[in-house]
Amino acid sequence: MSGSPEIEELPATQTGPKGVIHDWRKFKLESEDHESIPSDKRELLRQMSNPKSSNDDSREKLNRKMSIQEYEMIQEEDERCLRKYRRQCMQEMHERLSFGPKFDAVFELDSGEAFLDVIEKEHHLTLVVVHIYDDGITGCDSLNNCLTCLAAEYSTVKFCRIRASATGAGERFSDDVLPALLVYKAGELLGNFMCITKHLNEEFFATDVENFLNEYGLLPEKDFAACPVEEENVDVE
Amino acid sequence: MSELEQLRQEAEQLRNQIRDARKACNDSSLSQITAGLDSVGRIQMRTRRTLRGHLAKIYAMQWATDSRLLVSASQDGKLIIWDSYSTNKIHAIPLRSSWVMTCAYAPSGSYAACGGLDNICSIYSLKTREGNVRVTRELSGHTGYLSCCRFLDDSQIVTSSGDTTCALWDIETGQQTTTFTGHTGDVMSLSLSPDSRTFVSGACDASSKLWDIRDGMCRQSFTGHVSDINAVIFFPNGNAFTTGSDDATCRLFDLRADQELMMYSHDNINCGITSVAFSKSGRLLLAGYDDFNCNVWDTLKGERAGVLAGHDNRVSCLGISSDGMALATGSWDSFLRIWN
Repeated sequence: MSGSPEIEELPATQTGPKGVIHDWRKFKLESEDHESIPSDKRELLRQMSNPKSSNDDSREKLNRKMSIQEYEMIQEEDERCLRKYRRQCMQEMHERLSFGPKFDAVFELDSGEAFLDVIEKEHHLTLVVVHIYDDGITGCDSLNNCLTCLAAEYSTVKFCRIRASATGAGERFSDDVLPALLVYKAGELLGNFMCITKHLNEEFFATDVENFLNEYGLLPEKDFAACPVEEENVDVE
Repeated sequence: MSELEQLRQEAEQLRNQIRDARKACNDSSLSQITAGLDSVGRIQMRTRRTLRGHLAKIYAMQWATDSRLLVSASQDGKLIIWDSYSTNKIHAIPLRSSWVMTCAYAPSGSYAACGGLDNICSIYSLKTREGNVRVTRELSGHTGYLSCCRFLDDSQIVTSSGDTTCALWDIETGQQTTTFTGHTGDVMSLSLSPDSRTFVSGACDASSKLWDIRDGMCRQSFTGHVSDINAVIFFPNGNAFTTGSDDATCRLFDLRADQELMMYSHDNINCGITSVAFSKSGRLLLAGYDDFNCNVWDTLKGERAGVLAGHDNRVSCLGISSDGMALATGSWDSFLRIWN
């Protein structure tokens, strides 16, 4: 899940203390009034943000993550600017991760090669969900219907299905492990659920399958619901 | 020969002695020894709770020792104490600065602490008589950002800083009891040993150090990583620790062997690790990467045992409760999730 073009475009640090420093630099450069920061300081922030730009390659400089002048720039910030910035950060992440091809139906795979192709050749950000089924097995029909519904709601996910006999590895998928659901991304197996119906009620619907996959963190959020507007009640002085 | 030259030679000799001693006890590799061990199988964890309430990226979290409450710090400038069983917010504490890098929960449950770009470690009393939360101390003294803090008890806390030092503080007096110097780069993380007598630190000089809390001495230094170390965590039995680095590897270092025992890496992974945690037995190592991905490693065999939250890479920080029953992850989307 790394080394792909989009991910390489991501700034060098996103998480941990260095992620905070990066976020702060980005905030200073993009969100505050241009007048409040003189151009030489802006240039410093830009240089520090770019990990490759060290013209002075001494060991000392590489081991220290913030310069003294930057520490001096830390001050009280405008809450309104901060709020706007936070929303912008989350919006950018959502957009970055929902980039990629869109689908709206379940694809029928007809051979082992087609199966391998879909696993290995899809866009590295595309989640691929493969349903291995067979005729006459309980739950397969229902699951196919559920996945058809989900395919319409999760357009960035590529839902597929294949008959166990068509995979070329029919012996692996004996009746007692069907229906099976395999989840891939960028060629990697992320989720493997044999006899998935044992995790569901006898009668199950698209929302049940959706909840199941969500619990394992395997589906993207449907709506951009992460920006509640009301302020939380605080009880601190 | 000048005195400086003599000292340089002596240092070189000592380095060689250390290298030879390490080589002498290096009789096998951990993967060779565990080759016959059964694999842990594919680890697939389910979300049991979602904690909603923050308004921005979660920067840090830590479980309370009761394995039920936890504290989280977010870019929204708040510290929230959660009840992970009910998902209720127990306290929502506004911070002076949005740029918070670390938070901690005292073992007693009576205090929480946090710090970041303000260079200060703020201590909050959670159990005041009035029933609200108050700042009781602001520990200032570091000349760089506060990357990590961990309570020893209600009156002592250890901090690590971007000023390349770590410090032990007396919370009552607000003074540094001991300063731990030696790193030549920003210190990014620290982990207390189970017996609280030592702690290990990881820094941007690519080394990790074991410190004696009482006398302030660096007892051991470990090298091996080729880039910044961003996270460290003690192995549950206190005899080893794991580090996560910008070189895209995690490494297990053993205190008695005084060297690296295992490296957790894969050709497909070229992203730095910024958070690490062990399962209660230590058999599983959870690693949070800078692209928000989270891998589960088999500590003993060095293989990947699973991926957490396959889609929409979301993990910005993580922690495992002390009873080993739950993993908490914080995300860039403002939510925390509890898994097992």
